[in-house]
Amino acid sequence: MAPRAGRRGAGTQRGGPGKPRGGGITKQRGTPRVDKDGDVAMDVPVNAPTGPSGGRGRGRGRGRDGSSQPSTRLAQNIQSYLGSDGSKPQFNKTTLKIFGLKNSKAASNADGGVRSLLEFLERKASREKTITLGKGTLVGDCVWVKASKADAPNLIRLSGYTFAGAELTIEETQEPIPSTDGKAPRAATSETKQKLTAVLAARYNAEQKLLDLSSLGTDETLKSLGTFESQALAEKSFKALVHLAGSEYKDPEERRVAIQAVSLARNDIRDVEEVYALAKSLRHLRRLDLSGNNLENLAKLSKWRDEFRYLEELHLAGNPVANQPNYAAEMVNWFPCLQILDGQQVRTPEQAAEALKAMSPSPVPQFPSNVRDGDNGVAGIFLRTFFPLFDNDRSALAAQFYDEDSWFSLAIIASSGRDLPWQKYQKFSRNVQKLGSRNPASLQRLFTGGNLIADLWKSLPNTQHPSVDQPEQWLIDCHTFPHLADPNSLGTAVGLIINVNGQFEEADPADGLRGIRTFSRTFILGPSKIGAPHPYRVISDELTLHKWTPQPVQAVQPIQPVQPVQPVQPNALPSDALKAQLIMELSKRTGMNAQYSEMCLTGAANWNFDMALRSFEEQRANLPPAAFISPAA
Amino acid sequence: MASERETNVRCSIEAADAFVEWYYNQINHSKPIAYGYVNGNSTFERAGHPPADICINGLVVATPQEWEKLLEQQRHRPQSLSLDKNAVHYVVEGYDVHVINSDYRFAAPQKMLDIHGPSDGVRMMMMLTVTGSVYFGANKKDNEDYTLKQHFHDVFILVPNWEILEKPGARYGRKYLIASHNYRAF
Repeated sequence: MAPRAGRRGAGTQRGGPGKPRGGGITKQRGTPRVDKDGDVAMDVPVNAPTGPSGGRGRGRGRGRDGSSQPSTRLAQNIQSYLGSDGSKPQFNKTTLKIFGLKNSKAASNADGGVRSLLEFLERKASREKTITLGKGTLVGDCVWVKASKADAPNLIRLSGYTFAGAELTIEETQEPIPSTDGKAPRAATSETKQKLTAVLAARYNAEQKLLDLSSLGTDETLKSLGTFESQALAEKSFKALVHLAGSEYKDPEERRVAIQAVSLARNDIRDVEEVYALAKSLRHLRRLDLSGNNLENLAKLSKWRDEFRYLEELHLAGNPVANQPNYAAEMVNWFPCLQILDGQQVRTPEQAAEALKAMSPSPVPQFPSNVRDGDNGVAGIFLRTFFPLFDNDRSALAAQFYDEDSWFSLAIIASSGRDLPWQKYQKFSRNVQKLGSRNPASLQRLFTGGNLIADLWKSLPNTQHPSVDQPEQWLIDCHTFPHLADPNSLGTAVGLIINVNGQFEEADPADGLRGIRTFSRTFILGPSKIGAPHPYRVISDELTLHKWTPQPVQAVQPIQPVQPVQPVQPNALPSDALKAQLIMELSKRTGMNAQYSEMCLTGAANWNFDMALRSFEEQRANLPPAAFISPAA
Repeated sequence: MASERETNVRCSIEAADAFVEWYYNQINHSKPIAYGYVNGNSTFERAGHPPADICINGLVVATPQEWEKLLEQQRHRPQSLSLDKNAVHYVVEGYDVHVINSDYRFAAPQKMLDIHGPSDGVRMMMMLTVTGSVYFGANKKDNEDYTLKQHFHDVFILVPNWEILEKPGARYGRKYLIASHNYRAF
């Protein structure tokens, strides 16, 4: 918290440049220490009670009149800039403008109808999950409201809906919500922001991609803003600076490229906790200068342990910690990519790459389909019949394999559509994690009996599954298990559980939409009742539609795949030279490094360049930064 | 009066909720999961139940302990920076559950057969499918900055854990055990 007003006088704004004053990050180490008392950090602890001390030993115009209260104003500005709660910026919020309320019948309500309008929108937009809107602000014919970015599409979709007799128009906006009390509280904020941006601009070196935040204590602009009035304020200002620096680049990738080095030299930092924000906003830093600070031991650095995993160069000279015996070894241990510590080479680039790899866990290896369906090959026969019929004649399929006790449900696992819209599925989606056990929809969206199931299937978009005889398109695991109820006796029966992972093409003639969906589908097969068309029936069928596309994985092949059907030999594989060429070309086209390019090619794409490229496009959002070639140093 | 289907549906979802919360919390915190399988459960072993069928990414593993070992290997970072046990993080994004036998009798104590009919939502064999994301090497404070993200699909067959269900007002302990587990992450 910022100290209360009244502790400092107007004089602080005019404070001479000769003597640095400020919190932990502000004192200029390079300046001769005149006396310890001159260091504001010393006498204004972060959580100091805000008594009218007047600042021990500070003197120089810091009276008790507190007339202009620059520190308070700055604190407010920064606080309001960082977000209403003064802690986090609202990255995940967006502003919506809603027009049309004035013409509605609700306009005569005491609050102009804002509340009922927002309730209406909340109700209509809440489908997969409950959407809650903040307080709306009515200005003229427009209601301004903040909503979470994830919810925004569901709300904007309601544009054109009629509310209390009036048609609504909803749009997203970048404009700030106007104030209703006639004042302009944001003006001061934007002024502060402008000044901070100017500070950043002056301290950014585009050539070196360096943000030079060294010796902040001598920065005239920051001083004029009263930044160094207290440690808390100085930390807050630093947070704002770092956040601003980061927000200059909307795209994280762009930010990573633009700011690769930061200098925090000579700021009297005693614990990196004071500048922790750096690890949050600029976690991909490659060079960091902390020299000439006051970091005493490793514990004062420990907040950054496990951060900055791509840090290649670190300077800590001039800190007491650098004299500790285990210092260098620990730094090398903490930062896997660290190659230069205080000007000394501590790792080769190859060793760094190795160390980075070594600190990442690796997933359980992937094996092909595992089909253990007894001697009769039931799974293969069933699936070969099932998917073509699902694509072409769903009624016939339901009649053949589903009886009055069969269960079917589908669940979509997606917050918003990526390639294809989800509307056709949404109202049937039975994701019980979201619905809960007492929600009637959990019951309604569980379809029992062949007839009901067939009716539901009719309303779903047309599909085209690949042939089950293309094993590379599927991951099918199945096995038999005991203790199902035998429908024809009091005894028990053996069942078969089949878990299928794959993709299908979807075509919706009504909307003219085509696309690929990824799905998992799990069946429980058990013996049929007497008189059924097949000896076995579907007892349970759960279909899950995913928002993602499977990532190509490097399949290990130590054991022979067991295929449900006659395996079809994939096309002859290209030679090693051609493979290398394909990897290079894919890397060039996508910006991915060789390792990921190869993974992309060896997965489902099976060295088909176009498929690999498509799979990259689909998977791009899910790829870790490590997948891409890092820019040249 | 709730219909047979209604009670079973509600109880199966409640059982799924409890199971999902337990299971993913355990594996996210490197805690044991083996006791959640039928293997080693004395009632099931005495009655001759086969070991749980566990198939991990297409590989059949003989015991839940082996699966724990695979999870341990998966978490392992050869040059771990610190003893960060949460190097791999599972985030559940959805699940669905069906009752596949509402009259499950295997190894059931006579008392349970007497008290609970097939519509009581107790003697249920269930199929549970769980979907979500796995983050590898993510920052420990959030799931950003991971080195790899995969998507997983888990399928479980759950059966009643008689020892727990038998106790009146059973509140603690695993009410349902894993008889089959199929895991795929890609």
